[in-house]
Amino acid sequence: MSRLMRTSEVTKRPVVTLGGNDVAQIKDVVYSAGGGAVDGFTLAGRGLFSGPLNQALPWASVMALGPDAVMILNEDVLEPTATVLDPSASSGGSGGDVLGSQVLTASGTELGTVVDVILEISDAGGGQCDVVGYEVEASEALGTKGTKVFIPLPDTLAVSSDHLMVPESATDFVAHDLAGFGAAVQAFRQHLQGPR
Amino acid sequence: MLFSEASGRKVVSTSTAETLGQIADFVIDPQTRSLVALTVKKTDHGDTLLWSRITAFGSDAVTVPAAEAIFDADDAVAALSGKDHHPIGKRVLTTAGEDLGSVADVDFDPENGRLITLTLATGGIAAERLIAIGSYAAVVHPDS
Repeated sequence: MSRLMRTSEVTKRPVVTLGGNDVAQIKDVVYSAGGGAVDGFTLAGRGLFSGPLNQALPWASVMALGPDAVMILNEDVLEPTATVLDPSASSGGSGGDVLGSQVLTASGTELGTVVDVILEISDAGGGQCDVVGYEVEASEALGTKGTKVFIPLPDTLAVSSDHLMVPESATDFVAHDLAGFGAAVQAFRQHLQGPR
Repeated sequence: MLFSEASGRKVVSTSTAETLGQIADFVIDPQTRSLVALTVKKTDHGDTLLWSRITAFGSDAVTVPAAEAIFDADDAVAALSGKDHHPIGKRVLTTAGEDLGSVADVDFDPENGRLITLTLATGGIAAERLIAIGSYAAVVHPDS
């Protein structure tokens, strides 16, 4: 069993220890440079006037990313932000913000602009948290200009702060709502693996 | 017995037959899922009544051997009392990060102080599922 959620839904979510204390809230999601997985989260303090924290939450320490809270064992699992951010900065990608990037197919057609990132969280404890797709504001190429659609991603992809490269076939698996998107991702990944 | 029923009940000394105070609040140890103490509205001796010092938790009054049974909280009880550990009104989160609602009342066994159920607007949660009560939420095991 796994669940799909938008990154924008995850941010602001409280980080709660098993002791029932809210120690922080999610500020942003740290992706591994390949763009395929979530490395962890940067954190902000709880409350109206608290700023960003200098501690971050590595994905390995997340017990559960639930619909209402992110559960961790205790406060000690938080690590200095630099140690969570470093590996993703150094592993080849350009880092940077993926929101606002242009989505280009391998043949050079622009599909639209990234407005949100879709995560898939497997329910098993310590499960993977993968980036499975992007919510994209569509351009003419998709025939539904101006609407928001979901584009599935292969396991690995090239991404920079300007562009996001997707295979040509991704256009066949565009979904118009999040509910139908899970099946589209499965179908798309099977399609990619098929010919090999 | 529900917290809401027991709250305000008289605490009476069996040796002097005097009313020593009224139950103000409950101190829960989430580890054992039971009551460790009651707090009473301020008396001359203090405000904490350990569960072990209670003679009986009756339907009309709580009886204690003597006024000395009520004293100031020691560190162990103080660590568990206070607003952060008070369950009523607190949201209930499962370890999976799901919000189940907030605690409306707590049912406990007046014989031994064990918690039985946490009452939520949406229904009851067996007290065995309780893990901890913190400043933000009461954490429970997910429904199996």
